[in-house]
Amino acid sequence: MLKDRFFPLFPLKSIQSNISLAFSMLILAAIVLTSLVSYQVSVAAVERNSKGYIEEIIKQVNLNIQSYVDNMENISLLALTNKDVKYYISDNNFISAENRRTYEKQISDLFQAILYTRKDIASIMVFGYNGRFVSDRRITTLNPNTKTEDQEWYQLAKAAGGRSVVSAPHVQSLIENEYRWVVSLSRELKSTDGIKADGVLLVDLNLSVINDICENINLGKKGYLFIVDNEGHIVYHPQQQLIDSKLRTERIEEVLQAPSGQSFVVNEGGDKRIYSVQDTNFGWRIAGVAYSDDLIANKEGLRNSIIFYSLCGLAITLLISIGLSHRLSKPIKVLQSDMKQVEKGNFNIQTEIGQMNEIGQLGRSFNLMVSRTKFLMEETILNQENKRKSELLLLQSQINPHFLYNTLDSIVWMAEQKQHEEVVLMTSALAKLFRASITKEKELVPIRVEIEHITNYLLIQKMRYNDELNYVIDMDESILDYKTLKILLQPFVENAIYHGIRNMYGMDDGLITIRGRQAGDQIIFEVEDNGQGMSAEQLGKLLYSNLEENANQGIGIRNVNERIKLYFGHEYGIQIRSEIEEGTCITIVIPKLD
Amino acid sequence: MRKHRFTLLLVVAIAMIAIYFVFNFNLLFGVNHEEKNVTVILKSLNIRLDFWQAVNQGAEAAAKETGLNLSVEGPLIEGDSNAQIQILEDAIARKPQAIVIDMVMDNRMPAILAKARAAGIKLVIINHSPSMKPSPIVVSSNHKEAGQLAGQTSIQETDGDPNIAVISDYASSIISQERLEGMRLALKGYKASAMETYYADDSEDQAYEIAKRLLRSDSGINTFITLNQSASQGVARLLKEYNETGAINLIGFDSTSDEVQLLESGIMTASIVQKPFNMGYLGVKAALKLIDGEKTEPITYIESNVITKENMYTTENQKLLFPFITSK
Repeated sequence: MLKDRFFPLFPLKSIQSNISLAFSMLILAAIVLTSLVSYQVSVAAVERNSKGYIEEIIKQVNLNIQSYVDNMENISLLALTNKDVKYYISDNNFISAENRRTYEKQISDLFQAILYTRKDIASIMVFGYNGRFVSDRRITTLNPNTKTEDQEWYQLAKAAGGRSVVSAPHVQSLIENEYRWVVSLSRELKSTDGIKADGVLLVDLNLSVINDICENINLGKKGYLFIVDNEGHIVYHPQQQLIDSKLRTERIEEVLQAPSGQSFVVNEGGDKRIYSVQDTNFGWRIAGVAYSDDLIANKEGLRNSIIFYSLCGLAITLLISIGLSHRLSKPIKVLQSDMKQVEKGNFNIQTEIGQMNEIGQLGRSFNLMVSRTKFLMEETILNQENKRKSELLLLQSQINPHFLYNTLDSIVWMAEQKQHEEVVLMTSALAKLFRASITKEKELVPIRVEIEHITNYLLIQKMRYNDELNYVIDMDESILDYKTLKILLQPFVENAIYHGIRNMYGMDDGLITIRGRQAGDQIIFEVEDNGQGMSAEQLGKLLYSNLEENANQGIGIRNVNERIKLYFGHEYGIQIRSEIEEGTCITIVIPKLD
Repeated sequence: MRKHRFTLLLVVAIAMIAIYFVFNFNLLFGVNHEEKNVTVILKSLNIRLDFWQAVNQGAEAAAKETGLNLSVEGPLIEGDSNAQIQILEDAIARKPQAIVIDMVMDNRMPAILAKARAAGIKLVIINHSPSMKPSPIVVSSNHKEAGQLAGQTSIQETDGDPNIAVISDYASSIISQERLEGMRLALKGYKASAMETYYADDSEDQAYEIAKRLLRSDSGINTFITLNQSASQGVARLLKEYNETGAINLIGFDSTSDEVQLLESGIMTASIVQKPFNMGYLGVKAALKLIDGEKTEPITYIESNVITKENMYTTENQKLLFPFITSK
C-alpha cells in the first residue's frame, strides 16, 4: 500500500492509473506534436515575412540610392545642355581672357546654385580638353600632385563616349587639402555638333549620403547591407577593411549570380543568414544580409509562449484525465469492494447501480447473481432443515420395539394372571401412547397433552417395573396451555429409567421427578432421577453420539436437543447435571409459546 | 481515495514545476543569448585621433557582428595615465566579462590588471605586448614585421645600398624598440653603419634638427626612417626646405592627413600603415572567445601595409589612409 501511495502511476495495478497514464501519454504526445508543428510553422512564417520585409527594405535603399544617382545624372544633363559650359570648353579661340572670367563666373554660379539645393553633392567640375577647368567654387586650387587625366572616372568617361559613368566610392583628391569620400558620376561633354568631345564633367556625390543610408538600415541587430559593382568589387561594405585583410569573406559570387529581387539563404556554422539582392540601373547590386536568429527576435518569446501554453494545457488535461479516470474507475472500485463483501460471506449486499453503462450492467448482473446465490443458499438451508425435521419425525414415530415387546409381554403376563383391570389400563395407556406418537399433523402440542403423554408412558413403565419405579409430576398449572414440542420429555424419562433407575440393583425406591415452571418468557422442564448417575464420559456420549448409533435406543437425547434448537433457536436446549450414585437432572428450556 | 489525492498532488506539483520553468526560462534557453559585456579602453578617444577612432570602429563592427554589449572608453589626451587608470578602475567596478585595453605604460598598471583578473574579468591587451605575468592575450600590430617592412622598403628604394638614420621617440618605447628590431632583421647582412638610431623625444623640432645635422655632415645618409609622426613631420619639413625630395628617402609609420600629403607630393617615400580597425575588431573577438572559453591564440598579430605614392589610392589602401567617410 505504501508503495502504491508513493508511485501511483508506476505499478500500474489499477485501471485508474492505467487510464491516467494512457491519457497523459496521448495528451502529451498531442501537445508536443502540435507545439512543435506550430513553432515550426510560426518560425517559417516569421522567416518568410522577414524575407519579404528585407526585400522591401533593399528595394527602398535601391530607390534611395537610385534617386541620388538620378540627381547626379540630372545635374550632369543640366551642365551638358548649358550653353555657357559648352562654349567655355569648346575649342574656339574667340573667348578672350576677360571673357573667360565672365564665363567661369557664370558657370560657377550655376553650379553653386545647384549645389545650394543639393547638400548631397560634394562638387561639380568641368574639365575641358582644351585645358580649361571650372568648378562650383570661385577659387579652386587643384592638388598639384593629382593628375586629372590619370583618374579612373576621367578615363572611364572618356571611354564611355558620352554616356554617364558612376564610379565606385573613392577618395577625391583633386582639390588641394581636401580628401573626401565620394561617388563620382562623370560624362564626356560633346561639342555643339554632337560629334567631337570637348571635355569631361564630374559630379561628386558625398559618400556619406550612401553610407548613412546603408548604416541606418536596420536588419536586425547583426544584419547589414553591402553593395558590389558588376565585377564583384565591393562598393560599400561595413566591414570592408576586414574583407581586404582577408579576415572575413563575403558571398560576393552568390550575390552576383542571384536574380534581382530574390533572396537566398546561407547556412554557415549554424549561423543562418538571408541574403536579399537588388539590381540598380547603374550597375550596382545591393545586398541585404539578415541573420535568421536576429530577425526572429521574438523566437524565444514565441517558443516561451508556446511552451507555456502547452504546459498549462498539459497540467489542465492531466487533471482532467485523472479526474476522468477516477470517475470511470470509481464504480468499478465500488463493485470490487462489494464483491469483497460477498467473498467474506455477506450475501445481503446489493451494489449501487449508477449509469446503465457497461459497469452498470455488470453491477446489475452482480446484484442478480448475489440475490440468486442468496436465494439458493436459503433454499438449501431450508431443504436441509426440512430433511432433518422429517427424519426426526420419522424417528419420533418409531417406538422403541423393545418397549413395545416388553409392554406387550407385561400385558400378556398380566392377562395370564387375570389382572384384567391392569390389562385394560395398560393397553389403553399403550394405545394413547401410540396415538400420540403417530399423529403427524402437529409438531407443537399444548404442554397438557405432553404431560398426558408422559403420564401414559410412565404408567406403562410403572406397571412393568412395579415398585421399583416411582414418579412425581410437578407441573405449574399456569404453563399447561403453552405449546411445546411433541414427545419432548419422553426420551429423558426413558433415559432416566433405562440408565438411571433400572440399573439400581436392590434399590426399590427409584424416583423420577418431572417438573415444569415458567421463568420470564421461558418454560423450564426438569427431569430428575435418583439413579446411579452418569460419568462425564457417558454424558458426552449421550450428548454427542450419532443418531444412528442410538437408533435402537429410541429418540436420543442429543436429537431432542437438536430438535429444540432447530425449532426454537440456539439459545434454547437442554442441560445435564449428573453425579455418580446421586442421580441425574436434565433441564430443558424452551420458549413460552401460546 | 488516498491514492487519488496523491495523484492530484502530483498534478499540482507538475503544474508548479511547469510554471517555475516558464518564469525561469532564461535559465534553460537563454544561456546563449545572455548579454555579453565587453569594455574597450583605449589610450585616447579623442575624435581627432584617427588611429583610435579606427580601433573604436573595428571594435564596434565586432560587437555588431556578434551582438554583444560594447562600451569604448579612453582619456581625451593620449598617454594620460591617470585618466586611463581611473577609467580602468571604473570599468572593473562595473564588472564586464572582458576588458580590451591598450594600456599606457605605468607602474600602477600591473596591480590594477591583476585586480581585474581576480574579479574574473578576461583581459585582452591590444596594440603592444607588454611583458606581464601571467602573459595576457595580446592582439597587436606586428611592430617587428612593420620595422622589417620599413627596412626592406629602404633597401628597395636605395637599390640595395641603404644608409639609414632612424629617428625614434624614446628609447623606452616598446613599439619603437620592436620596430627597430624588425629593421635590424631586414638589414642583416648589410654593413653595421647602414643604420643609426637617434631619439627626438616626440618633438618635431628635435627631429628637424637631428636631420639637418645629419644632412649637413658628410654622413651620406640616403634614407630617414621616422618611427613616429612628429619625427616624420620634422624630417619632411627639412626635406621640403632642402628640396631634396626624391633624392633622400623618408619612410614613416602610420598615417595622418599631413602624411598623406607628404606621400602625394613624394616627400615621403613610403609609410608603414597599421590596421587599427582590424585591431579593434580582433581585440573584441579575442575577448569574446575568452568569455566563451574557447581556445585563443596568445598573440594575434595584425599585418601592416607599405603605402607609397603609387598605391595610396587603391581601394584597400584608401580605406587605411582615409578611414572615415565624413561629409565635411
